[in-house]
Amino acid sequence: MPTLSSKRHKVEDLDATEFCFQQGWTDGLPVIPPTEERVLTMLKAANLNPDDQIGYIDNRAVAVSAEKVALNAVMAGCRPEYMRVVVAAVQGICDPAWSYHGPGTSTGGAGVLLIVNGPIARQLDINAGDNLFGPGWRANATIGRAVRLVMRNVAGSRPGLLDRGTLGHPGKLSYVIAENEAESPWTPLHVERGFTKEQSTVTVLAAQGPHQFYNQLSNTAAGILTTCADDMRTSGGIGRQAEHVVIIAGEHMKTIAADGWTKADIRKFLFEHTQVSHEHLKQTNRIAGAVQPGDDKKMRALVAAPEDFLVVAAGGMAGAFSGYIPAWGSKTTSRAVTKEVK
Amino acid sequence: MELLDPTVEQPQQAIDFAPRPGALAGKRVALIENTKYNSDKILERIGNILKAEHGVASFKIFRKHNSGVPAHKEIIDEVKAGFDVVVAGVGD
Repeated sequence: MPTLSSKRHKVEDLDATEFCFQQGWTDGLPVIPPTEERVLTMLKAANLNPDDQIGYIDNRAVAVSAEKVALNAVMAGCRPEYMRVVVAAVQGICDPAWSYHGPGTSTGGAGVLLIVNGPIARQLDINAGDNLFGPGWRANATIGRAVRLVMRNVAGSRPGLLDRGTLGHPGKLSYVIAENEAESPWTPLHVERGFTKEQSTVTVLAAQGPHQFYNQLSNTAAGILTTCADDMRTSGGIGRQAEHVVIIAGEHMKTIAADGWTKADIRKFLFEHTQVSHEHLKQTNRIAGAVQPGDDKKMRALVAAPEDFLVVAAGGMAGAFSGYIPAWGSKTTSRAVTKEVK
Repeated sequence: MELLDPTVEQPQQAIDFAPRPGALAGKRVALIENTKYNSDKILERIGNILKAEHGVASFKIFRKHNSGVPAHKEIIDEVKAGFDVVVAGVGD
């Protein structure tokens, strides 16, 4: 049996869940007490040894071990079979391209959005449909919670200390979705990002909260996406040109696909229709400086390139609603990272 | 019941902080700017005050790649080689 090296606490005259609260280990909700048996079961399910290194966060000088990830996954309420997904997500936030220092700390208050693709999403019943960002699915609620507990307990991102989010958002508790690959007419996100359809992946993005828009009037792709573009045009700090996730839910998905549009067509349309004049951006204090002659014709794109729209088919099949999620920062400060679930 | 600790035990402090200067007179000051709007102006103001009121010998402003990352290696190397005091401007 592998040996666990974490410090041990004897809890005899106190409820174990209360003890976890008292130690400052929780996110404000009760946790499952992390016993040796539970942690070993979690490690075994992912075929990991306790001292395997899952990632290294350079500027915090913190090595994240499999043991600590398993411990926090137990506390979050994960089933053992979720562990592989949690591990891939933790690898993602430790990747230099995700750049932990910023989104793990910033007053900008990023959550970690996890987008799960491939067979694992169906195997684990990770919700891709009704109530996409809402409660009701154990996998969605606990996998993201495990990642946040790792950030809190291993990387030191505690609210008010090294997590200085001014507002934060509810997605900082857990922020996990899957793509509805079964009903989507489009290429899945992970295939667009270089993986095969048969591979399972997690894409992590330092993200603001979800924004919903509705369009119950149009029956064309251009009509629906015109609403989307108008809604998102100045979202998330256009001055930063942050990546944006675009969530297309069921009714809109069918309408857009019926016009023969691909994800690339969606990206191109949104790129062209989310441009804003420098005049408007200066007048609304989104970029610095006084308005100059010609600023009304000088346009700035919402994102640096069409590829910075990550289009995902997900959400309920009923209702003329879709949404978008601006990333926390610019691509120079943190980028979406996709890791394979192994 | 026995519980395992989910936090990382604090390692022993491997390095000490550099000794603080008793006075700023004659010191070379590095000012590290985080790229946020107006951060260069406030650091330049600080540099000028340090010169006028505290007698520092010189100051130089260094600019990070962006606000979301630590100061990069070239900054650290130059500061280590040629400066006595650092002011890191963190502003929002």
